[in-house]
Amino acid sequence: MAVATAAGRDEARIPSGKLAMWWFLASEIMTFGGLLAAFVLCRLAAGGWEEQAAHVSTRIAAFNTALLVTSSLTMVRAHEAVDAVDRRRVTLNLLATVLLGAAFLGVKAYEYSGELAHGFTPWAGPFWSFYYGLTGLHALHVFGGVVANAALCAASARNRLWPHLHHRVEYVGLYWHFVDVVWIFLFPLVYLS
Amino acid sequence: MTDDRYPTSTTIWIWLMLLLGLGLACAWLPFGRTTAVFAIFTVAVVKAALVLRHYMHLRSEGLLVYAIAAIPVLLVIGMTLSLVPDIVFNR
Repeated sequence: MAVATAAGRDEARIPSGKLAMWWFLASEIMTFGGLLAAFVLCRLAAGGWEEQAAHVSTRIAAFNTALLVTSSLTMVRAHEAVDAVDRRRVTLNLLATVLLGAAFLGVKAYEYSGELAHGFTPWAGPFWSFYYGLTGLHALHVFGGVVANAALCAASARNRLWPHLHHRVEYVGLYWHFVDVVWIFLFPLVYLS
Repeated sequence: MTDDRYPTSTTIWIWLMLLLGLGLACAWLPFGRTTAVFAIFTVAVVKAALVLRHYMHLRSEGLLVYAIAAIPVLLVIGMTLSLVPDIVFNR
C-alpha cells in the first residue's frame, strides 16, 4: 500500500524542468501583461490613436500570424515525434519551426523598414512608442525561441537528443507556444482594434 | 502517441486559421466599433485557449500548473481594472 502510494506520488510529480518553465512563463505573463495593460489604459485615456493605428499593415500582420500559428503546429509535431522516438521527424519539424520563426522575423523587419521610411519612428507619437516596444519585445522573444529551436534541431540531427535531452523539446515548445499566445493578443490589440 | 479523446494537432491548427479569418472578418465587416472590438477579443481568447489547452497540454496538467498560469493573469486583469477609474475616467 505504502509502495503504491509512493508510486502514485511519483507519477503525479511534475518534472522540475517543466515546473521551472511554467514559473518562467508566469513571470513573462506579468511582463507582457503589464505592457499590454499600459497600452490599453493609455489608449482609453488619451483617445485619438485610431489615426496613427490606421497606418500599420493588417495584411502583413495577418500573414505573420499565420506563420507563427503554423510554427506552433510544427513544434507540437516535433514533440509528438520525440514521444515516438522518430529522430528524422523531430529534426525536420524543428527545422520547419526555426524557418517559420525566422520568416516571422524577416516579415517583421520588412514591416518596420516600411514604417520607418514613412516617418513612423518610435518617437512619432505614443501609439508608435507602444507599437515598437510591444512588437519589438515580442520579436526578441521569437528570436530567443528560434535560437533555442535551432540548438535542439542541431542536437537532434547529431543524434544527441536521446536519452537525456528529449524533455527539452517539450520545455522549449511550452515557451514557443507562449510566444504564440502573446501574439494572439498583440495582433488584435495593435492591428485590428 | 495520439489520444483519441482529443482533436489532433492539425485539427487545432485548422481551427486556429479559421478563427484568424473570423477575427479579420470582424474587423472589416461593418459592425459597430464596440461590437467589433468585443468580437475580435472573444475570438482571440478562444484562440489562446486552444493553444493553451491542446498545444501546451494544460488539458492534462494538474492544479499546480493551472495555478501558476492563472494567478499572474488574474493579477494583470485586477491591476488593470483597478487603474481604470483613475486613468480613464479622471482625465
